Amino acid sequence: MVDWGLAIKTAIGGFGLVFGILVLLGISVELTRVITERITGIKK
Amino acid sequence: MLFGLLETGFPLFYWGNALMILIGLGFIYLAIAKKMEPLLLVPIGFGMILVNLPLGGMMDYEMMLKAPQAGTVMEVSMHEGDAFKKGGVIYKLDSGEVTAPVFGRIDTLRVSQGQRVEKGQTLGSILTMEQTNQAELPTRPVGLLSRIFKFGVMWQILPPLMFLCLGALTDFGPMLANPKTLLLGAAAQFGVYLAFFLALIFGFSMSEAASIGIIGGAEGPTTIYVTSLLAPHIIGATAVACYSYMALVPIILPPVILLLTTKKERGIYMRPSLRKVSKLEKILFPLITTIIVILIVPSSAPLMGCFMVGNLFKESGVTDRLNKTAQTTFVDIITIFLTLAIGASMPAQNFLQPRTLLILVLGVVSFATAAAAGVILAKIMNLFLKEKINPMIGAAGVSAVPMSARVVQVMGQKENKQNFLLMHAMGPNVAGAIGAAIAGGVFLGILG
Repeated sequence: MVDWGLAIKTAIGGFGLVFGILVLLGISVELTRVITERITGIKK
Repeated sequence: MLFGLLETGFPLFYWGNALMILIGLGFIYLAIAKKMEPLLLVPIGFGMILVNLPLGGMMDYEMMLKAPQAGTVMEVSMHEGDAFKKGGVIYKLDSGEVTAPVFGRIDTLRVSQGQRVEKGQTLGSILTMEQTNQAELPTRPVGLLSRIFKFGVMWQILPPLMFLCLGALTDFGPMLANPKTLLLGAAAQFGVYLAFFLALIFGFSMSEAASIGIIGGAEGPTTIYVTSLLAPHIIGATAVACYSYMALVPIILPPVILLLTTKKERGIYMRPSLRKVSKLEKILFPLITTIIVILIVPSSAPLMGCFMVGNLFKESGVTDRLNKTAQTTFVDIITIFLTLAIGASMPAQNFLQPRTLLILVLGVVSFATAAAAGVILAKIMNLFLKEKINPMIGAAGVSAVPMSARVVQVMGQKENKQNFLLMHAMGPNVAGAIGAAIAGGVFLGILG
């Protein structure tokens, strides 16, 4: 017997979490770029 | 018995073995004649052949047969060497029957007619090729490939090590140059969750559905890793679906892209030059990603940790020997072990079931919807972007590095000769690989 409540939570929560983490990584990448530009003084 | 001396495999050979050997030969043909993923299909195909030649014993596991209740043996229904299906009667006791919990053949029988047995007493041993839940039906590998499978795949050693090698082979530069492409890799994980849901509707358990859904992540090691932990009995089907569809990306992706984009959209020009990513950024990325991802999804640590340490070998500039080994010799060794073991996880008795066909269908649905979700998100992003992106690169979010990016490049060139989309498509491509590893970790965190 499938626990549909858990299934829906797994699907929606799981996809949301994956999406959220990759967005967070995107933000980290941008922040890293800005910080490294400040440190090195080289604009790309 | 051949001349009364030697036991041959013929008495146990049946049409299912013949069919699986033909499929194995088909894989080897595709690899050699059509050059489709030869490094994967040759060993997988050969493993399939090996495991379907009865009595070869390369994928055998030994299992002790225990008495389910006390009683006196009224009849010994089988002899040593006899083959049986799951549920076949081995002993008849006055208190009930002793049936086979898996398919296989009798190795030894220790009690005889008229003998009294106690509950839990060992009645003999059987040999099986079935992957069992070790908590309920413990087995001991006794063949070359079953040992590799048990200690390499089931102990989750080979898939993360394969990820380490993939990390050493991956250039995150295009993604770092254009971080928007991370969104496309994220969108493509929609296919994973849609297939998960569909599998539940078709009657699979939650653990099986997760293992089927992750096929859409298009990462062989992730699929094998998740399935080995959640649903080891279907690992042959999910692994073959994943690797086969990765080889079939040039056939699966174009119709999805053509269906969802107009000619004008496919012709959108993207400037070939991406910004130059500094060495410092490339070194920091695997470190930052490891910390963020594993803090949020700890169960993704084996895959993500290995992926990123492999990438750090490549980018650090001070571990050339490790990097070179991971990119060449080590990845080859892991590939040999992993693919032979996966091929050998497909004995006919296990593989030829209606459920396998359903897994293959759900796998392709997962792949196609993953690509579709990437394309659709790219089109949505274009509503807000000043400099438009070619929506075809969204399809590369399905991972299958670098095949899907190459498909996008070829299709882009057909529409606009000036367009070089390869590097743009590599962004969502590697983002998809990260996304798949996280999705696998999320499944393990919730269901493991």
